[in-house]
Amino acid sequence: MSYSNVIVRRQTTSSVIALAVSVLIVTAIPTMPYWASNGHIRWVIELSCLIAIAQMWNLLAGYAGLVSVGQQAFIGVGGYVLFVFANNMGFNPFWTVPLSAFAAAAVSIPAYILLRRLEGPYFAIGTWVFAEALRLLTANISYVNGGSGMSLRVMAQYTPGQRALGLTMMSSLLLLLTVGGSYVLLRSRFGLALTANRDEPVAAASQGVNVKRIRLMIWMLAAAGTGMAGALYYMAQLRITPDAGFDPYWSSICIFSVMVGGVGRLEGPIIGALLYFFATRFFGQFGATYLVALGLLTLVMALFSPGGIWSLLSRLVNWPWFPVTRVVVNQSQRAGEDQECRSGADRKRGFGDANGVNGTKHVDAASIKPGRETYQL
Amino acid sequence: MAVEPRDRASGAVLLSARGVSKSFAGLHVIKNVDFDVGVGEVLGVLGPNGAGKTTLFNLISGDLGLSSGQIALAGRPLSKLPAHRRAALGIGRTYQIPRPYGAMTAFENLLVSAMFSAGKSERDSYRTCLAVLEDCGLSSRANRPAGALTLLDRKRLELARALAGEPKLLLLDEIAGGLTDEEAADLVSLIRKIQHSGVTIIWIEHVVHALMAVADRMMVLDFGSKIADGKPGDVMADPEVRRAYMGIEA
Repeated sequence: MSYSNVIVRRQTTSSVIALAVSVLIVTAIPTMPYWASNGHIRWVIELSCLIAIAQMWNLLAGYAGLVSVGQQAFIGVGGYVLFVFANNMGFNPFWTVPLSAFAAAAVSIPAYILLRRLEGPYFAIGTWVFAEALRLLTANISYVNGGSGMSLRVMAQYTPGQRALGLTMMSSLLLLLTVGGSYVLLRSRFGLALTANRDEPVAAASQGVNVKRIRLMIWMLAAAGTGMAGALYYMAQLRITPDAGFDPYWSSICIFSVMVGGVGRLEGPIIGALLYFFATRFFGQFGATYLVALGLLTLVMALFSPGGIWSLLSRLVNWPWFPVTRVVVNQSQRAGEDQECRSGADRKRGFGDANGVNGTKHVDAASIKPGRETYQL
Repeated sequence: MAVEPRDRASGAVLLSARGVSKSFAGLHVIKNVDFDVGVGEVLGVLGPNGAGKTTLFNLISGDLGLSSGQIALAGRPLSKLPAHRRAALGIGRTYQIPRPYGAMTAFENLLVSAMFSAGKSERDSYRTCLAVLEDCGLSSRANRPAGALTLLDRKRLELARALAGEPKLLLLDEIAGGLTDEEAADLVSLIRKIQHSGVTIIWIEHVVHALMAVADRMMVLDFGSKIADGKPGDVMADPEVRRAYMGIEA
């Protein structure tokens, strides 16, 4: 059989739209100081941090099989590196934000060496212990003012306008690196190995995938993204303490966002983080009752919809934002085969819309032209 | 690189195992097994359940480490190499209980092997994977998530995934179980085709007539020890094999 009529499709109409919207959002955020209120700018900065840490936790738990409850270690390290470099050493605070990512990745290496032999729940507890150890250590270093924490006094040399511009630019960069970076990563050859490792690590190793190296790389990348988010968050707060920076609540936010939004999908953590953010804005006043409700919601989702809100949504409409799969399309046949793939697991949902199954416009597979995102064989 | 029958007769050894042993907490699963597999040869492996056949595969593929002994591929000792390095050297395997990457499509399952085991670029892998899917009768399921395939298709996928890695040595672990006679005949002709393309095969199988149809040599394991090794007809006639494997008193 000749394969001249076969193409491999990687984008869908919905994903092209999502990509355009994402680019629009990322470029619009730095213009906010010119048209948005300070309150809304603060919302966007915090939301960017939440999306970033949730997306990083999703890489860990949803792809590398590493469940961490110690992500606050990297939030704290990122924040403190920013404060030390900007306040104590006089570096430009804005440029120190990306630098914090590297610092967090560096700290993640010894942590991994200590924890790599632990499995499942033991690994999770190990990460928590590691974060607690860092908190106690930080609280006892007088150079960073011990348990009383630090204030970012250097920010006083910038006007409120400059600060807003710097913070929004960093928010954009953070989203670009964590969400955009995860998307690029998962679509690459590395993403294929990563997903194989998640689904069947033993088989992946026997088919040539270096499972150990992949786990370490994801651990470091997740630490970097989380560290950068920590730096940005505390730069906006202007103040950091060991108890806040290394608060285990950060990991709870990650777990909530990813479990409720949808684990192992790029769209899930974004939805989860948005839900957490707005739920906190509107119901945070109810205190403990609100936290109990969030906990119950996580529990219900884990029991009845392990794929989270995203999997419920994609059962209604198959419009993936960030598809990572490769769909084989035989142009000489009708797209009947595509239809079969709809019966399967959630990750592969979303390609049936080209068949007009949902009452959407019918697109014949043969009409799809090989472009940058399709590969003619 | 087709291997002619005379090359097989030339006696070049692809895999050699010497004094291979494996024990788990004092339980000896493989005891001091020696064997060679020649380039282009098909070695059939028989033995009752629990004889240590799959463990032997795990030792060759690197899923498990040896307790003692040596395994070499084309003269190169494998003992210190992790599984992914052995795959890159040309050892491909299937699992008796299929282990597909459930959330990935059948096509993507094959891509992993083509890219990481055979070391091809993604673009170069596409054509290989489509061809292998067709050979294994999975073309119509290319876009299905592997987790949604039937058991029979998962078994086919095991073979297809191993083939996509373009192995020099292919380890097949009970891939004929549950096939109809017609399907088994198709499988036998596929395995012959694989052999003619120059691949050396070790095949564990309980479906003896399928195994007899392609094996150049047979080896029988019982309680972790090798009890017979030779021409298929001779091995099947061996009284000890008949007693151990078929429960027939000779």
